[in-house]
Amino acid sequence: MRKIFVTALIIALTLSSCAFADVKIGSCIYRFSDAFMLRFRNAMTAESVNEKAEIIIADSLNDQNTQDAQVDDFINSGVNVLIINPVDRMQSQSIIDKAKSANIPVVFINREPTAEMLATYDRAYYVGAKPEESGTEAGELIANYFKSHPEADKNKDGKIQFVMLRGENGHQDMIARSKYSVEAIKDAGFEPVEIAGAIANWDKLQAMTIMNAFIMSLGAENIEAVIANNDEMALGAVEALKANDYNKGNAEMYIPVVGVDANASALDAMDRGEMLGTVLNDADGQGTAAVKLAVALANGKDVSGQVVDGKYIWVPYQKVTRGEK
Amino acid sequence: MAETKSRSKRLMTMGGLIFLAIGIILYFVKEPMGLNRKIYDLPVFLIIIGACSALKGYMAKEKTEEEAALAGKTFSEFLTNNAILLAMLVLVVVICILQPRFMQIRVALDILTQSSTKLIMALGICFTLLIAGTDLSAGRMVGLSAVVSASMMQTATYANRFFPDLPQVAVWMPIVIAILACMVFGALNGFLVAKYDMHPFIATLAVQVIIYGACSLYFDMPPNNSQPIGGIRPDFAQLGQMRLFNGVYRGFPGISILIPIAVVICIVIWFILNKTVFGKNVYAIGGNREAAVVAGINVFRNIMGIFILASCLYGVAGVLEAARTAGATNNYGNGYELDAIAACVVGGVSLNGGIGKVGGIIMGVLIFTIIQYGLQFINVSPMWQQVIKGVIIAVAVAIDLTKYRRK
Repeated sequence: MRKIFVTALIIALTLSSCAFADVKIGSCIYRFSDAFMLRFRNAMTAESVNEKAEIIIADSLNDQNTQDAQVDDFINSGVNVLIINPVDRMQSQSIIDKAKSANIPVVFINREPTAEMLATYDRAYYVGAKPEESGTEAGELIANYFKSHPEADKNKDGKIQFVMLRGENGHQDMIARSKYSVEAIKDAGFEPVEIAGAIANWDKLQAMTIMNAFIMSLGAENIEAVIANNDEMALGAVEALKANDYNKGNAEMYIPVVGVDANASALDAMDRGEMLGTVLNDADGQGTAAVKLAVALANGKDVSGQVVDGKYIWVPYQKVTRGEK
Repeated sequence: MAETKSRSKRLMTMGGLIFLAIGIILYFVKEPMGLNRKIYDLPVFLIIIGACSALKGYMAKEKTEEEAALAGKTFSEFLTNNAILLAMLVLVVVICILQPRFMQIRVALDILTQSSTKLIMALGICFTLLIAGTDLSAGRMVGLSAVVSASMMQTATYANRFFPDLPQVAVWMPIVIAILACMVFGALNGFLVAKYDMHPFIATLAVQVIIYGACSLYFDMPPNNSQPIGGIRPDFAQLGQMRLFNGVYRGFPGISILIPIAVVICIVIWFILNKTVFGKNVYAIGGNREAAVVAGINVFRNIMGIFILASCLYGVAGVLEAARTAGATNNYGNGYELDAIAACVVGGVSLNGGIGKVGGIIMGVLIFTIIQYGLQFINVSPMWQQVIKGVIIAVAVAIDLTKYRRK
């Protein structure tokens, strides 16, 4: 039923949109209600207009089966190239196989298929940011803060006792951000000690509950930093800290919190001095790069100059802070 | 028989006094003996528990012969009937040993705060359970109410406003709109159940899906396009974050505003269930629907009333969640209905309808929250938490059914 509906929708969209575009892009986003993917979508739509290409974007409703059906529909409706944001990156092989048998190029975004999967088809690519880089930048934010604020080492043991709030289990970004933020702190000459950590599934409410439990069980005075895999969880931690009279403007009662994404609420919290900093995952840059690459591929151009290792375009991350607290 | 009764009474009073005495002694020796970091606020808890049980033992009425015979259960029956409460007590002791910080006043207050919204949900859902129904749409209504209220409560300077041109409206307005939105869907629930005699399970399942879809559509409206709602106005956030008596004495964290809100709602619901015709009708319909019809009770109107009242409470819970977290997404409240139903069942509300008291529900919510909070406190893996939660629900229902069969 859903498949028929999606097909009908795609046909309707195809008929109604400009018929003279010679490049037709079919794109699936794992879930429309993801704030980060929204910026991505907007960037892709804008760039398609620039490139005079036609783009159809489908919501995969966080369900890999739905997404597979959507890919079939796209191929049947005759798109020239696919831009896919997999629901489950470990199940990308079937999409690569579909594209291969239809002989159209496929560009993956945001969730990276393994190198082995990409190697099975010469026209499969990945556009994204190196997840380890976001971790490194977040770790550096903390390290820089401790360099300029020696008093942040509350127990004066020369180590950084931090709490880690992790994203969804198994997500590439969760793994890389958790690992490389700690590496960056080490590289800056500090000794990081994870006194507590938990999976909060990218979610503000869960992060708030978990952080609250950590504050109660460890004592806020024993926590020296909070590293969250994304901004929503960082904001959840900020709310929990505020409920315990921390991060409300009193320099004595402050714990630096960092996130990743640079979404509007995080920037807002940073303006109020409640959050130390965040790392911008450049959705605009990635969305634009993905569409540029897709159009070039659909037109049969040689892209070997744009990609590294024959498969990848890496868009860099950027640190965001609001001056000195 | 009367002798054993008064002996148990004396036992309770004595035990309470012993607790009280130990508490007072510990209170005065903990500073000089350097126990502060080992037992935290344990003396205060002992004093409170001791005083309460001594008072209860002292005040307890002499039971009549018949009541005493009824209450004279065997020890094993007592164990089965209070299995979950006892399990919770064991867990609390274990946690206190593993992590003495658990024995703090601020932890107790935190547990009460977290119980507050859950209690409001449970009080709403208990009406639907009392008529042997259920309400699966409760959690999504929380999400709807959170999104609707938060969307109109953003600061003027926030970069990503839901309604960029909306003036700074009075706080009550979005709250009323959010609760009314929930009540519309509550009425739909009631209509499907009452008019078509649909099983509440399927009717509220359908409405649950409708609400989530509608809420997502609203949430996806440009310019918001499904971004988490932030930049919440401080005066709105205060509704869920304000703390009364903060810092009255050294280190006192204050009592969250959510606790008195939940208490007021408890009193109102207790009044409705016990002192109004509507409340009696709820029990009557739940106990025996045919008899209620024969007795001339307007089942249609009462069922409509039940679902609308319940949805009103979910709406309140949603507003409070949005205020407490200073934000909202369409995923708020996901799965809350199951926690609320579980808490009701643990608190002695029968899934067969007609049986359930406000006091029991309060106990159920507290037990459930303490267990969840405690497991999180000693950092038990979330997967194990799920397993334990499931076991509690299964045990609670099993006990409920055994009791039911005995009658």
